[in-house]
Amino acid sequence: MGNCLKAQSNDDISLLRGHDSQDSVEQALGPPPPYQEHVQQRMPVYHPAPNVSRTASQLTEEEQIKIAKRLGLISHLPTGIYDGSSKKGKECVICMGDFAVGEPLRILPCMHSYHKDCIDDWLMRSFTCPSCMEPVDAALLTTYETS
Amino acid sequence: MAAGLPRRIIKETQRLMQEPVPGIVALPDEGNARYFHVVVAGPSESPYESGTFKLELFLPEEYPMSAPKVRFMTKIYHPNIDKLGRICLDILKDKWSPALQIRTVLLSIQALLSAPNPDDPLANDVAEQWKTNESKAIQTAKQWTKTYATDN
Repeated sequence: MGNCLKAQSNDDISLLRGHDSQDSVEQALGPPPPYQEHVQQRMPVYHPAPNVSRTASQLTEEEQIKIAKRLGLISHLPTGIYDGSSKKGKECVICMGDFAVGEPLRILPCMHSYHKDCIDDWLMRSFTCPSCMEPVDAALLTTYETS
Repeated sequence: MAAGLPRRIIKETQRLMQEPVPGIVALPDEGNARYFHVVVAGPSESPYESGTFKLELFLPEEYPMSAPKVRFMTKIYHPNIDKLGRICLDILKDKWSPALQIRTVLLSIQALLSAPNPDDPLANDVAEQWKTNESKAIQTAKQWTKTYATDN
């Protein structure tokens, strides 16, 4: 709270014309030469901060380091395969799809679990559990220190 | 139209229709399934009581990884809502989580009407009035509700 005046407002006044940030990047740089267009579409998009989307070549060195660290931390979080046991709930709250037997899940230190792809996408933007808002960071670092 | 519409948006829309939230109506636009026409009833025992407030809600391409964009269309006198209808609410900004839904966002907005927070203002002049002369601010809010949010 208390950040609304300072925050750069990206509220669109006309919500019907909601544009994604890729558009504005392209506008700023001018249209790319046609032969590059296909390459750009296949490039992975990173989110150094929530609501910021950039391709690898547009990241600062600092952002690249942050993303690399984040990827490392995520890869240390336990994963599992859904075996049909309903103990952990059977719907992924991110995509609202039911877990299907054999699907890869990721389990956060707070024991909330999600589809691996769904939660990894979120963790790159914010290192918190979507359900309990618990920061994943602290719990993970404690595990490192004691091991 | 539904091509490429994420399953989550389809499910949320269905659930909003099947189990509507009391005091809130959210209908998807006929031409754009990501755009919702919203009507929120002013909460009882608030200066907005008996008013009906129109809002627009848009689910951006990145939803649910980024928050919906929501704006009041009906003029409202509230310290956390500016004259363009933009809302200062943490879950629409840095406290967004993909576990939140259209339903929970609209319930939070309804709660914001019951509990204005002049210490976290978006409309500075309104917040100032709210802090220096609360009864007059509430009076103005009631008057605006009557003028702009009744029979609209």
